[in-house]
Amino acid sequence: MPGRLAGKQILVVEDEYFIASDLRRALAAEEALVIGPVSSLAAGLDLAEREGIAAALLDVNLEGDSSLAIADRLAARGVPFVFVTGYDDWALPDAYRHVPRIAKPFAVPTVLAALDQLLASEDVP
Amino acid sequence: MEPRDETSLLATLARKNAVLEGINRIFHEALTAPSLEALGRVCLRVAEDVTGASFSFMGEIDRATDLLDEIAISERGWAAFEAAKSDWPHGKVPTGLTIHGLYGRVLREGKGLIFNDAATHADRVGTPAGHPPLECFLGVPLHQNGAVIGMVGLGNRAGGFRDEDLAAAEELAPAIVQALHSKRAEMALRDSEEQRRVTLELVPAMLWRVDLDGLRIASNQQWHAITGQTDEQASNGGWMELIHPSEAGKVSRAFRRAYAAGEPVTVQCRVRQAGVGYRALLIRQVPVRDGAGQITHWFGAATDISDMQSLEERQRVLVAELQHRVRNILTVVRSVFARTVEGAESLDDVADHFRGRLDALARTQVSATLNASGTVDLENLIRDELLSVGVSDGPGLTMTGPDVALPVGAVELLGLAIHELATNALKFGAFRAPGGSLSIVWDVNVDGRSARRLDLRWVEQGVPAIPIRPARQGFGTELIEEALPYRLGAETRLEFRGGGVRCTIGLPLGGDEEGA
Repeated sequence: MPGRLAGKQILVVEDEYFIASDLRRALAAEEALVIGPVSSLAAGLDLAEREGIAAALLDVNLEGDSSLAIADRLAARGVPFVFVTGYDDWALPDAYRHVPRIAKPFAVPTVLAALDQLLASEDVP
Repeated sequence: MEPRDETSLLATLARKNAVLEGINRIFHEALTAPSLEALGRVCLRVAEDVTGASFSFMGEIDRATDLLDEIAISERGWAAFEAAKSDWPHGKVPTGLTIHGLYGRVLREGKGLIFNDAATHADRVGTPAGHPPLECFLGVPLHQNGAVIGMVGLGNRAGGFRDEDLAAAEELAPAIVQALHSKRAEMALRDSEEQRRVTLELVPAMLWRVDLDGLRIASNQQWHAITGQTDEQASNGGWMELIHPSEAGKVSRAFRRAYAAGEPVTVQCRVRQAGVGYRALLIRQVPVRDGAGQITHWFGAATDISDMQSLEERQRVLVAELQHRVRNILTVVRSVFARTVEGAESLDDVADHFRGRLDALARTQVSATLNASGTVDLENLIRDELLSVGVSDGPGLTMTGPDVALPVGAVELLGLAIHELATNALKFGAFRAPGGSLSIVWDVNVDGRSARRLDLRWVEQGVPAIPIRPARQGFGTELIEEALPYRLGAETRLEFRGGGVRCTIGLPLGGDEEGA
């Protein structure tokens, strides 16, 4: 039975190759269409403009840059997203405290469950 | 005693006059005497003058020990000691004397006494070695608040002491007590004033006193030293001009509230400082009240908290960074482990390869954190990795290239890549084949947009043709062909061909602050 992720475009922004690669593999196994992964703020901002993105996984720290600008752009377009981060809550500005967050090191099922939940709440009419 | 005739009346008047002059002198000298002892000497000289004594001392009872501490010995007294070849050090008055003998009777009985037979009196205890011979003695107690606090002792008047000498000394006594008392109070006040002044200057804070309406300011000069504003300029609200415009409203409201309510105020704000621009200060001001609870003035203090604030901020950033790095590296380690397992043929294989990769990661972490500049020398990085597989300088190895300071972000993956190449060379390539050789050559080039790029070539030669890629190359290949371009923006090329592995890595080095 195909999961909720099947056929959905999922943007992945993560600067660490192995982590990005793990996420891509896990999403591909769920038959999701992976957008990216990309490692830089500029590339992430570009891809965030794409049509059809269902949800996004955002690393908070991109080679020293913050990915919060990508988060803002996605939020403006109504695309739900999850932070994947090594930071604790207190290191994030208050405005982003409500965003679902997966702490590194993460387990793949946790990431998939978080995305599933984002998409489930989107499905509600 | 009453004067009986004109002569004695005149003598009495003369004596009274001498005493009054003496008292006048004592009070006059009390103002300028530099010490209690100096004042004591003045009192003793006056007492000697009005009684005709040859020498004298003054002492007070130490309530704690019930011993007599001398305050002063008269100048004539010291001269007498000198003449008697006393070995008492000149100027050092004796203290801790037992209360006994003739002077003991004066102190215990609390009244003036004359002993004109001092040398032979039954109560005499003798004089210390070096003391001039004592022929006659006159002692008067010093009273304060009804209690005996000390005495003045006068010695050796030609013809012995008379009643009128005792009367004169007794008339002087209250003035001496008063003079000593004022001197003590004055010195204590001067001490505490001096202490207060020094304290205010020592405290590394701006301190000030401001009057009831908050207008006139008197400070410990640190405000002036730091802001360049004098007390006069700071008064009448002048200090508000130095507050950062965006915070002036907040500060002025806080102070207005405090003055209205008579309550302490604490504000943090940026204050313009001479030569350094705005710095954050913590300002506090509290009301000072009199005995009736009425506010008489305000006392304020300010400390520079800029350094503390930036240290706190820096620490916050560092802790967050450390947390980020630790969690990232754990995630990377797990990914590396998963990939090692995928490509391995046996558990031994997994253990062997994973240990090698983990060690390589550990080495790069150490070298990246060891270096204060946050950079790592490329040649050292390569040598470390070769050494980890047991390869050092030899005829089959050439390394050529300039000094390159690798940015810390590139060290981890590049180190891992060199590790994979070295391990492969050891198992299948140049380090295994007899007659095999390895050449590692690098250079730093500047591209059209003046960005610096490291070009590194790893070329193995003399290795028999490798028919297929070794199984474990899954990880190494992915690392070089995908991870380096993804994470570091590198251009890479990895070839397995007759003669050995050939790998080229073009790695952007970022800014041009480092010389090639």
